[in-house]
Amino acid sequence: MIATALRRFDDLAHAPSAGTEDRTPARPLHRAPAPGTGTAGLSVALRGLGKAFGGRPVIDGIDLRIRAGEFVAVVGRSGCGKSTLLRLILGLEAPGRGEVAVDGAGPRRIMFQEPRLLPWASVLDNVAVGLGRGVTKAERRQRAGAALAAVGLADKAGAWPATLSGGQRQRVALARALVSGPGLLALDEPLGALDALTRIEMQDMIEGLWVEQGFTALLVTHDVAEAVALADRILVIEDGRVALDLAVPVARPRRRGDAGLAALEGRILDHLLGRPSHA
Amino acid sequence: MSQPLSGAGARLTPWLLPLAVVALWQVAGSAGLIPGTVMPTPAEVAEAGWRLGRTGELWTNLGVSFLRALGGLLVGGGIGFALGLANGLSRTSDVLTNTTVQMIRNVPHLSLIPLVILWFGIGEEAKLFLVALGVFFPIYANTHHGIRSVDPHLVEMGSVYGMSRTTLFLRVVLPGALPAIFVGLRYALGIMWLTLIVAETISASSGLGYMAMQAREFMLVDVVVLAIAIYALLGKVADALTRGLERRCLAWNPAYAG
Repeated sequence: MIATALRRFDDLAHAPSAGTEDRTPARPLHRAPAPGTGTAGLSVALRGLGKAFGGRPVIDGIDLRIRAGEFVAVVGRSGCGKSTLLRLILGLEAPGRGEVAVDGAGPRRIMFQEPRLLPWASVLDNVAVGLGRGVTKAERRQRAGAALAAVGLADKAGAWPATLSGGQRQRVALARALVSGPGLLALDEPLGALDALTRIEMQDMIEGLWVEQGFTALLVTHDVAEAVALADRILVIEDGRVALDLAVPVARPRRRGDAGLAALEGRILDHLLGRPSHA
Repeated sequence: MSQPLSGAGARLTPWLLPLAVVALWQVAGSAGLIPGTVMPTPAEVAEAGWRLGRTGELWTNLGVSFLRALGGLLVGGGIGFALGLANGLSRTSDVLTNTTVQMIRNVPHLSLIPLVILWFGIGEEAKLFLVALGVFFPIYANTHHGIRSVDPHLVEMGSVYGMSRTTLFLRVVLPGALPAIFVGLRYALGIMWLTLIVAETISASSGLGYMAMQAREFMLVDVVVLAIAIYALLGKVADALTRGLERRCLAWNPAYAG
């Protein structure tokens, strides 16, 4: 069953843009032309991508195209290779074979599972880390302050990270990832450690900023509901391959508990759990 | 559990016990419970301090000891810090030198005194060498450990966010290692005084230890006790300075705040 799904996917991936159109219904993306801050996202193309650790293939021949500005969620069981895929796309790992082509302007940024804030730097300075080199001091302060305000933490600029709650720390990490106006934002299970309500707030915040700024978003998660709530498109990874590639044809803003989302979530879970699909 | 004292109360409380001991000592001495040849009273010790202070002898010796301590700390601590950094950051450097350092570490540095006297006589080099050797190890070991135990997640974050090697070191690695380096500094300060006192007692012609030894020759118990009391005060001053530095440099760490 997986094999046929894969073959079907391979055909689609190799087909010209008609195939892509097929999977992505022509619905208007709720992405307002961002005033001032907006950067066009990066597009990503993977061709025959493979990576092995200690002789065991973790990524096993992935062909994939991600359009600029698309919100893609990558789901799968633990150890299926989804985090490695993210690291390959970000250039944190070198591919074993095949290639990763990233096209467009803007830096690539990542939000980790842990906030990874510098405990000895103020919240503002932590956000400024995301600006990289070659930015004047005044501009650093100004831009970092604006990014902090965007995640609703302007009043915490001078605080130490140790004094923040888990959700606030992850918001600072989000501000740090977005302060440079990235073309691609990779999210490596960034909300896994948060409580349910904080997680939903964070999801809304990420979605809102994505709509506003127009970066390409790549979310790795094992929370299928989260993937369905946020993404335009969901990739299910199994044994280092793309086993399912599904569009999420539900308009934004999405309401949690929407019947269309629930049906999709059920279908993906059935697949992951190896149950026969009702769809 | 109990309410912490506030303001002046909190600052004075730690001194209650030492003051009580001194008071008790004074009373016992005045009442004749302790013979003056065994232990002079605090008043007599203070008077000895006043006497030696007026002649300038006390200040000269104190200054000499202080400079020796500081010199040894800077030389030994500087080398220990540099080698600790090198071995914490570079595998090659670690493999080359760490085994040797650990072997030397297991030799009690005070056992080198006879050799040091043969090499340097009783000049300043002997004291500098011994103090430097003594403070080297705690600073080396803790710097090394501090660098090694920096959270690799933070280092990865730094490099992903495009930090140069220098920035990564200054903004991530060094601040991460700082708490451990301070632990090393505190140990080093203790060893610094210990080494200096022993070295000055055995082979010197000036300094606090020498002053105490000279006083023993002339049965001046009050001066001997004075020297010991000064050591206690100097230790307290060094500790307070380190604490102040920690509070400034590690303000981000809830364990050191306040």
